[in-house]
Amino acid sequence: MELFLQTLIDGALIGGLIIVVGVGFSLCFGVMHIVDFAVGEWVMLGAYTAYWLVRYLGQDPMIYLPLIFALFFAAGWLIYPLIYRAVSGRRHHPALMGLVFTFGLSTLAKGGALSAWGYHVRSVSTWLSGQSVSLGVTTLPALRLAGFVFGVLTTVLFMIFLYGTRLGVSIRATAQDRETAALLGVDVRRVGALVYATYAGLTGMTGVLIGALFSIHAAMGAKYVIFAFFVVVLAGMGYVPGVIVAGLLLGLIQSFVGVYISGRYTLFALFLLMYVSLLVAPRGILRRGL
Amino acid sequence: MTTPAAEVQSPARSAAPRLTLGALLAAALLLLPFTVSSFWIRIATEVLLWAGLAQSWNIIGGYTGYLSFGHGAFFGLGAYVTGIGMTVLGWPFAAGLVVSGVLAAALAAAIGYPTLRLRGAYFAIATWAFGEMLRQVATVLEVTGGAFGMRLPAFLNLPFFYYVTLGTSALVYLTTYLLLERSPFGYKLLAIREHEEAAEMVGVNTVAVKVNAFALSAFFPGVLGGIYAYWLTYIHPDSVLGGIITDLMVVMVFLGGMGTFWGPLLGAFLVQLVSRSLWLVWGESTLYLVIIGAAICVVVLFMPGGIVGLLEGRRAPLLAPRAAWRWWRERVRW
Repeated sequence: MELFLQTLIDGALIGGLIIVVGVGFSLCFGVMHIVDFAVGEWVMLGAYTAYWLVRYLGQDPMIYLPLIFALFFAAGWLIYPLIYRAVSGRRHHPALMGLVFTFGLSTLAKGGALSAWGYHVRSVSTWLSGQSVSLGVTTLPALRLAGFVFGVLTTVLFMIFLYGTRLGVSIRATAQDRETAALLGVDVRRVGALVYATYAGLTGMTGVLIGALFSIHAAMGAKYVIFAFFVVVLAGMGYVPGVIVAGLLLGLIQSFVGVYISGRYTLFALFLLMYVSLLVAPRGILRRGL
Repeated sequence: MTTPAAEVQSPARSAAPRLTLGALLAAALLLLPFTVSSFWIRIATEVLLWAGLAQSWNIIGGYTGYLSFGHGAFFGLGAYVTGIGMTVLGWPFAAGLVVSGVLAAALAAAIGYPTLRLRGAYFAIATWAFGEMLRQVATVLEVTGGAFGMRLPAFLNLPFFYYVTLGTSALVYLTTYLLLERSPFGYKLLAIREHEEAAEMVGVNTVAVKVNAFALSAFFPGVLGGIYAYWLTYIHPDSVLGGIITDLMVVMVFLGGMGTFWGPLLGAFLVQLVSRSLWLVWGESTLYLVIIGAAICVVVLFMPGGIVGLLEGRRAPLLAPRAAWRWWRERVRW
């Protein structure tokens, strides 16, 4: 029973982090119809940036979170024109071109990281590492709790931005109907740039926490691409609130499969579930996807 | 890229020179092992293998317009099925190849059935996840030797593997030509790629056609994977299921020209040429990934039709000196 509770809590806590990645990824699809294969690479680069900052400047990785958000926001803003070029213009299959382009970006980033930093596994530690909060029969590792709090906080702030501000309204309008939004005076190109940059920033920040929780290596991204895919497939592509349910579910599945079966079968379990989900509920378990 | 197959051939040109050219090429390919050293036979086998793989990917990615980012998985599956069949179950090589191909096609149909009903993005994701999943499973299972890989009975006969690869790749191109360039099936695929709703409206059973195309495009990588495994006699998850196999197929087709008949061959030849030359300079290196990634990005951004698209875009062939000169003068003014 204790193990069960512990697994449950661990899973839910990890789910909080995955939600942040999923929300940005899903929004990217909703607004720009881009499936970003580079999502795992943003996580990986975020983790590495934190590692090098800590290595050369010292201090705790947590205090670099705003800086990393700014850096990745800028990177996303700079890359966006290229993505825009790939998905627009006189091309016949814009969606396909966008997919292939981000696939190329991801290969480029992974290859670059492997070439520059090799296969070594690195880690960063924060003042929270190793501490824990006891809660009745179970204990919560402080870092996981911090990650969860970060995830919830970021998601809530992002939701407030999306649903409460004028800019958020124009983002949601673009996601709903691009042409109509453009006709009503929304600069869809700028909205796209903003969404992509915000998504890159959020994902990079999440990478710092993921890097602190687990280990940092150049090939770590692939796992998070699968996680992001899984979350949006279950949530329904482009349906942001569904991401919260699906993200928590993913954390739980990963945790339970890892504890009760074997950590080496998590991808297999996720794939099977994704397959069944696509088979019976292609628009997500809440039936609200695009 | 969108030029229908029928328009590509200009009716004015007669078939005789092309037939002669084709016969010469076939003769050269058949006689190659007798004339060059084993090093070059190996290189030629590799080029043929990749030409076959790239064309297989082109069937679903180029002709149908659905990107499979897990195509390397079918290659790896074929390698492992042939390996397990030959070592554990004692099958002959040929049986291993057939079973590999059929199994790859069956799995492709199973994955394709739910995902090909949806938008292309779901298909891309599902195939990619399938590839990653298969690699993890191959690393865990005992029968595949886990991360250490498995050994196949050694059979060191380079010309044999050259001819088997040549035969299989030729079969891929022949199938593509007959089934996609010269039959109603090919026109159905083209219609789906260009306008899926319209295709459905005129009575094309789009899901069935797409699933068939995907199964067909997975069959050949399965067979080629089996050949590759027996050729190298040692396989492990990273060598036959690594993401780079899919990456290479994608870059070859895109560089050559998506949805064109000769594009994959051209792309495979060029990419192999470059990667082997770099290999001589650097040895094994992760810099290949950087180059592949950059190449994909550049092709998508600046020449979405690939090399074939670039050549077709010019009305006159660039190889004719006068036309090339005019093309040059139109662009460069001083």
